[in-house]
Amino acid sequence: MSDEAELYRKAYEREREARKAAEQIVENHTRELYLQNQKLEASLKQLKEQQRVLVQNEKLAMLGTLAAGIAHEINNPMAFVHANLELLSDYLEPYQKLVALQREALKLPHGQQEAVAGKIAKLVADADLGFFEEELPELMEDTRDGLQRVLEIVANLRSFARAHTQERQPEDLVAGLQSTLKLLNSQFRTEVVLQQDLQPLPLVHCNLSELNQVFLNLLVNAGHAVEGSKGATISIATSAADDKVIIKIVDNGIGMSDEVKEQIFVPFFTTKPVGKGTGMGMSIAYGIVVDHGGEIEVESTEGEGTTFTITLPING
Amino acid sequence: MKGVVFNILEDMVTEKGGLMMWQKVIDKAGFGGGYTAVSTYNDDELFSIVGAVVEELDLPAESVISAFGTYMFGQLASRYPVFVDSCDDLFSFLESIDSVIHLEVRKLMTETNLPSIKCERIGDGQLVMDYRSARRLCVLAEGLIYGAAEHYNTPIKIEHPVCMHKGSDHCDMRVNITHE
Repeated sequence: MSDEAELYRKAYEREREARKAAEQIVENHTRELYLQNQKLEASLKQLKEQQRVLVQNEKLAMLGTLAAGIAHEINNPMAFVHANLELLSDYLEPYQKLVALQREALKLPHGQQEAVAGKIAKLVADADLGFFEEELPELMEDTRDGLQRVLEIVANLRSFARAHTQERQPEDLVAGLQSTLKLLNSQFRTEVVLQQDLQPLPLVHCNLSELNQVFLNLLVNAGHAVEGSKGATISIATSAADDKVIIKIVDNGIGMSDEVKEQIFVPFFTTKPVGKGTGMGMSIAYGIVVDHGGEIEVESTEGEGTTFTITLPING
Repeated sequence: MKGVVFNILEDMVTEKGGLMMWQKVIDKAGFGGGYTAVSTYNDDELFSIVGAVVEELDLPAESVISAFGTYMFGQLASRYPVFVDSCDDLFSFLESIDSVIHLEVRKLMTETNLPSIKCERIGDGQLVMDYRSARRLCVLAEGLIYGAAEHYNTPIKIEHPVCMHKGSDHCDMRVNITHE
């Protein structure tokens, strides 16, 4: 072989070896990447599970906060349902006597019914059955309404507390807000004015259970913000624009400083004293909104109030 | 087809006929001829080059491809010894192709079109391999099996009663251990 060819042959051999070495490196890296990927996927799965647990715990913690108010909500109608039924049972005996007398009267021949008529009249007068007869329809109506209210509160509670699935479907956010508001009825002091401007919204593809948790969180916070304020007002407004829906929750409470505003979505951040609040509510709310492809913005002025604006795509 | 197969073919051709033969063959096939082991190339490119090799060697295609298969086994075994080392005998190795080897290949390389290989032992000295592939390279597979048999020092004879080239949807290759 000529000198030049020999040089080329040697160069060729070197290049071959180098290339083989490079290929080996590529293969090793690929195997490493594959294993890393496996690990990451396992981690992701674990994190998602932990997040699910966190969200559920936050929800239950919130329920704890609401429990007193809800108990009050249930107690009110149960009080007059109870009172009505007491009244009904008081009148049960005279009514039974009345029915018995009527039966007696119907058995008698026509002429002798006069005697029984007298007894009936006396019974009606003594037991004030006339009054009861007038009041009975309203009593029944009130009792039914009261029980209906309780059924609704319980249904809302159960729906809220239930560990939700990850499914999303087209939902009516206004209905969601309304059912959430029912849970909050006693949460706000009686002096708090609640303004609602709930424009009908197109159905939004979402997990309503999760969004209700967001609304609840913001409303409870608004309630805390206006504690001790004069003329406390919380307003909720919904509107739709293009392919998005907008929910605004405004309060005229103590507001937030710029420093606080910057941190509200940070996990575990809270302005509440130790033992009150987990500090997770806002960060979870933020996570849920962003997960749905939406945005959550906050404007606030110390001493004047706070506005939260949630924007969600209809086809999230 | 993964570049490593082209590399091995090049090794075999240059071993037999030097750099000259390989140059001739790729010129005849009409390709540039630089192949990286980890890349993927068109199946047709390989078939053209093999065709050119068959012409150049002036031997029946079947015997060239079978010889390539046997040679290829040796090369793969030396590049990836872990697969042969973890199996003690020929049949275990053949059974590991689908469950171990091809699994690893899929991990490393994304676009692979590996054949489906299912083994079943029949009695003491026979194993039937069910081979399915759009490429119908059963002759190559036979060559590889012979190469493996050589490595494991197990003389065998392969019967090929059912074949995709004869119209079936798969090949049945019966590997019989002979006792010569």
